[in-house]
Amino acid sequence: MIRPEEIKMSEEETGKWGMVINQDLCTGCQACVAACAMENNISFVGEVDSGYGRSMHWIRIERFWEGEYPEVKMTPQQPMLCQQCGHANCEPVCPAYATVHSQAEKLNLQVYNRCVGTRYCANNCPYQVRAFNWRDYKRPEPLPNQLNPDVTVRRMGVMEKCTFCIQRIHKAQDVAKSEGREVYDGEFTTACAQACPANAIVFGRVDHPESLVSQLARKGHGIKHLEELGTYPQITYFKEG
Amino acid sequence: MSEQFSRRDFLKLAGVGAATTAILTGCGPASRYVKREPYQQMPEYNSVGQSTYYATTCRECAAGCGLVVRTYQGRALKVEGNASHPLNLGKTCARGQATLQGLYNPNRIQGPIKHVRGDRLYDSFSNPFLDDINNAPANMTWDEAIQVVADALKNYKPNEIAFLMGMAPDHLFDLVTDLAKATGMNAPLRFGALSMFEARATLSKAVENLFGQPGLPFFDVGAAQTVFSFGANFLETWLSPVSYTRGFAGLREAETKMRGKFVQFETRMSSTGAKADHWVPLRPGTEGLVALAIGKLVSEMRGGAIPRAFSGVNPAEAAETAGVELVALENLAGMFATSNVLAIPGGAALGQSNGLEIAEAILALNALSDNFGQPGGVYLSPLAPDQTEYSRPASAEEMRTFVEKMAGGAIKVLFVHGVNPVFELPKSLGFEVALTSVEQVISFATFPDDTATGADYVFPDHHSFESWGYQRIATGTSQPVLSGAQPVVTPFFDTRSTADVLIAAAGLAGGKFASALPFADEVEFLQAKVGALLSQAGGSFDAPDAATFMAYFQQYGGWFRNADARITPDGSGVLNSNLSGSVAEFSGEGEFFLVPFVSPTLAEAGANKPWLQELPDPTTTVMWNTWIEINPETAHELGIENDDVVKVVSELGEVQAYAYLYPAIRPDAVAIPFGQGHKAYGRYAESRGANPADLLAAHFNKAGDLAFGGMKVKLEKVSSAERGVGLSRMESRMGVYGESMGEEH
Amino acid sequence: MSDLKQHKDAAKSHEEHLREKHLMLDPLPRGKMNEMVMEAMMAPPTWKWWLVFTLLAGFVVWGLFYKWGVLITKGQGEAGVMRPDYWGIFLVNTVFWIGISHAGTFISAILRVFRSEFRRPFTRAAELMTTFGLVQAGFSIFMHMGRVWLAYWLMPYPNQRMLWPNLHSPLTWDLLAITTYVLGSTMYLFLPLIPDMAMARDRSTGWRKTFYKILALGFRGTEGEWTHLRNAMNIFAFAIIPVMFSVHTIVSWDFAAATRPGWNSTIFGPYFVIGALHSGMGAAIAVLAVIRGTMKNMKYFIRPEHFDAVGKLMLIISMGWTYFFFNDYMVQWYGGDKWTRQLLHFHEAGPLGWLWFVMLISNIAIPWAILWNQKWRSTPWLVATVGIIINVGMWIERYVIIPISVTINRMPFTWRMYTPGIEIPMGLGTVALFILLYMIASKLIPLIPVWEVQEGQMAHAFKKFGRETVVTVSELE
Repeated sequence: MIRPEEIKMSEEETGKWGMVINQDLCTGCQACVAACAMENNISFVGEVDSGYGRSMHWIRIERFWEGEYPEVKMTPQQPMLCQQCGHANCEPVCPAYATVHSQAEKLNLQVYNRCVGTRYCANNCPYQVRAFNWRDYKRPEPLPNQLNPDVTVRRMGVMEKCTFCIQRIHKAQDVAKSEGREVYDGEFTTACAQACPANAIVFGRVDHPESLVSQLARKGHGIKHLEELGTYPQITYFKEG
Repeated sequence: MSEQFSRRDFLKLAGVGAATTAILTGCGPASRYVKREPYQQMPEYNSVGQSTYYATTCRECAAGCGLVVRTYQGRALKVEGNASHPLNLGKTCARGQATLQGLYNPNRIQGPIKHVRGDRLYDSFSNPFLDDINNAPANMTWDEAIQVVADALKNYKPNEIAFLMGMAPDHLFDLVTDLAKATGMNAPLRFGALSMFEARATLSKAVENLFGQPGLPFFDVGAAQTVFSFGANFLETWLSPVSYTRGFAGLREAETKMRGKFVQFETRMSSTGAKADHWVPLRPGTEGLVALAIGKLVSEMRGGAIPRAFSGVNPAEAAETAGVELVALENLAGMFATSNVLAIPGGAALGQSNGLEIAEAILALNALSDNFGQPGGVYLSPLAPDQTEYSRPASAEEMRTFVEKMAGGAIKVLFVHGVNPVFELPKSLGFEVALTSVEQVISFATFPDDTATGADYVFPDHHSFESWGYQRIATGTSQPVLSGAQPVVTPFFDTRSTADVLIAAAGLAGGKFASALPFADEVEFLQAKVGALLSQAGGSFDAPDAATFMAYFQQYGGWFRNADARITPDGSGVLNSNLSGSVAEFSGEGEFFLVPFVSPTLAEAGANKPWLQELPDPTTTVMWNTWIEINPETAHELGIENDDVVKVVSELGEVQAYAYLYPAIRPDAVAIPFGQGHKAYGRYAESRGANPADLLAAHFNKAGDLAFGGMKVKLEKVSSAERGVGLSRMESRMGVYGESMGEEH
Repeated sequence: MSDLKQHKDAAKSHEEHLREKHLMLDPLPRGKMNEMVMEAMMAPPTWKWWLVFTLLAGFVVWGLFYKWGVLITKGQGEAGVMRPDYWGIFLVNTVFWIGISHAGTFISAILRVFRSEFRRPFTRAAELMTTFGLVQAGFSIFMHMGRVWLAYWLMPYPNQRMLWPNLHSPLTWDLLAITTYVLGSTMYLFLPLIPDMAMARDRSTGWRKTFYKILALGFRGTEGEWTHLRNAMNIFAFAIIPVMFSVHTIVSWDFAAATRPGWNSTIFGPYFVIGALHSGMGAAIAVLAVIRGTMKNMKYFIRPEHFDAVGKLMLIISMGWTYFFFNDYMVQWYGGDKWTRQLLHFHEAGPLGWLWFVMLISNIAIPWAILWNQKWRSTPWLVATVGIIINVGMWIERYVIIPISVTINRMPFTWRMYTPGIEIPMGLGTVALFILLYMIASKLIPLIPVWEVQEGQMAHAFKKFGRETVVTVSELE
């Protein structure tokens, strides 16, 4: 039994897992989006719903325009996914404790089977990276054969979002534990980082100063999105090379 | 070979012990060796909770990236890159990721079918979300199917039989080539829309003209200081996108060198061009002129004599013709003069009537950097380990010749595998019509595509994840690579490997046919082919015998020679060559240049995978549909708004789609993505969007590639946007374009 | 005619005039008054009543229950919600109905506490509005939930897994506050009903007698019973007022506690409370006008003086609302946050900017233009119309705050306009149910708290000081 004082709503400042995203390298090729969908059993929603803001992408690539033709420029592509905030806006507002902070992994968890669908978390997410199952988006047979057994298949009325591929984290930890060691840096990575042909996404332990992701994050001119809200996001973005 | 042959025996045979900790496993559960087991009797490699990983080769495009597929209890779950594969080093593109949606596609062909031409291979309407599997049922046995193929081989003269094949897989192409050589059949023809839009024939012809030897150039983007790309969409579908994207990351990565610069010349901003530091919109067909002008300006800046190659051009006139400011060209030339520039000719620039001249002019720019065979420069791609000379897919002109043969009745039996020419070839080449003149059409399509619909028989091949094979890596890596493919799951449906079908049919046909393919089955054929590498030294692995070699070949996903085998082209004569700064000719009456481009997410065969449909296009963020890109200024003048239905009319036909006001396209051009507009191909692809290939005239450049960029078209508004109807966009029109946000004051 | 005579006549006519104008000064015998109320309640429904009843009931069955079934089986995708408009009309309606329910308690409790005599004939109708409005609010919030069949997870009930609702969440506060409010206001509705139930029990037969007997709890009108009742009512009247304020403040916290531009406003609490009163008073006066116009004998009980008095309140509340609206707007605007400024601009200049102006006209311009004039204020249909217009304006205000405001967030790539779907029939279904419940109530319970009127009339009297006739009110309690 967990005593109330052990329940922590947020992990301020220090996280455990984090990412560095180099927007100068990101080509917007959507490999991460596809990899994420394949790894995490994300439903496709069809043309009408996806055009109405109901697509279930856990990661999306944002881009804007600067200037007018012919001096027009596309702003650096910006992969936007759950920032796994240390002090997450989504967590306190859920009346059912369906989105909570993992004490072990310092991630924002979404407990699908506890979610009742008030959608308050998504409303309160300043990054707008949560996806709601507006309908039961069924996959026709035999498409369900590719479902990843490590990831829950969500049904209608439930919120979902990027988990930093927590199933991979757990698997790597299990393997390391069975071999009596720590998880190596780079031993595993998230589906998006794994696919990214430009290596624009790097994932790892941000609490280990020597990990690749920490070293990259220290390069200095990285930014964290909407940091001013006190969310302690775990993803560092580099806009220019 | 017995169905009862257990996997354990096979592993013993292959000489590879079952290593429980090994991530990569040598061989997949090929149907002929392993039967499907019930859960209670799972084979030993399937312990509960443990995934098994199989290395194979991606067939979503011809690049041939190495994959590792995660399987669990006989199901393929996830595609991952093969980290030890020299081409992609563990990375994949979106299309590779979505391969599983092809493997488990609800509209796969499920068995051999005798089919009335034109009949549907699945119900016309199926709910994209429901289980209403309604595919045409198999109506014959495989024995009957093999008999049909054998009869076709036997009953017709060899020169009346033709094979039309896709860019992958290579082993089947080799098998058919062997068969054709031995029997006098027409040599198999390979074609793919991607190679058409890449203008591969032009590229290799230009290489031959300039350097004296044909080949596919390899551009070392990763080590370059500055890249001048003329319409090369190397971050999307061009040649080997995953490898080139890695190269791009190398160009940008500022760890060990200055951040490399990148300039893109093109008519509409591609998603590659979107990453450029300078994006230079050019009038189509003037890329060669601009390249020469830059060459001349650079030579002038550097002083000394102007090389003969660039002497014939007047930069001011060239700038005028291309629709750019001379100052802009001078600035770029200044950048060029002080840096080591890699100039890349891309498909969009070469698909013009003067495409060959353009290709030569652009390649010649590299001579100013003297970067032939240098890091950051131009190489010729290494040949694959078992290859002795460069071979390329058929150009569009060769396809036209072939289509004329079909129409003229010279071809009585046509076998189609791995390509969907009814969709991929421009309508003007007349493939669909010519198909009706062929007495017997046998399709080996895995999916009920547009071409299979016009076939007499559909004998579905396995999906690539159920198949054996190999693929030669044409370009993208410095090493010679023969990439290996193996089944990662047992065949899901009653499909059969086309190689097996041909071997069996050749056996039945007897005579020359039987002796041409003296193999028990596909695997034996592969062993014969791949085993030849055993004697080659310096490879990625050594093996004591052929069986072990074959097992390692499957386990590692191929055989790679550990050497930089890139060929240094002889560029000594380039600066003195005679280059023409011609301007392209255009056909059609309209006032707009037509820019057809390959959808980066769908490419030519992705439309039947729902998640590829739901990926936002990298530039427009449109999902599930075709759009027509119009410059906002032009649209404003014509009274066209976003989501209006507009019509693009060429001399050959018209294409109707929603308008997308695209801020980065020349005002005198319209662009349409290629990839949608299927007439069949399953519930996710059919009747979705439009195919710009319908607009293209059968004009070719001197290398025989289609001048797909040489069309002028009219633009007409059909109807105004209706509320709630239009393109599905990921982006917010309000947030990105400020629509409906009210005047700021 | 002598001066005296003249004066006497004048005094008499003045008295007559006052009597005509004020219910409290126009007593009827108790038996007669009870008769009137019973007659209004027991009158067999006319065909018109049945027609309206059938139409409304049909609409409730189709619009509310059938469509809800569709929503539950097919998912929230049937509604217009999406990213970023995760909240739509269901929550607009929730806030709207809670707002409506406010005025009932406000009129009854505040005016009771302050001993405003004009409240007496319509406290019952107002309290019913509280209860019926809360029913609609409850429906609306449950419609909004993605998995409504698990709604009980929001309640703190003991379970083996030791799972409790999250007390950090404003929605949990909301749930607790609204539950308290439902219980409190139902009690508060029931207590003053007891003497009337006893009255009805004594004057009815058959099933009605049984029904009233149960509800009257054996009330016989002894001194002790009255004392207890008065004490209980006093306690509830005082207790319900802070509950009422807290409920709508907490509703506002659902928004104000969120990190969204346009919502994160400290003034939201009082702004929502006054907004609730604004719409509630409007709704109450419309209900009164309907009761007065459609039910027997009601013109005696509900007189222009009541419209006049409520009209004044509406005017004051409208002014208060105006203050808080501009206060909220100004504070947010001066805050200078980039996104908030975009949002405020979007409110007025976006595609639904006209709604924003309709809101201001309905909530400010129209009430101010009409309610300042006593004559217009005393015209029932006119004040009722203003009340309905205010409700339209207040509904739009919530629409502006919820779906329009959530269109704009800190990620411009996701901005999108909301188009309602199944919310429309379901929202209209709640309106139909609200009216339907009133119609049923009018046939079951006295809509006029007759004992309160009688009590007031007993306390009022004309008294002569020399030649002057003056009105006196004695302290009864």
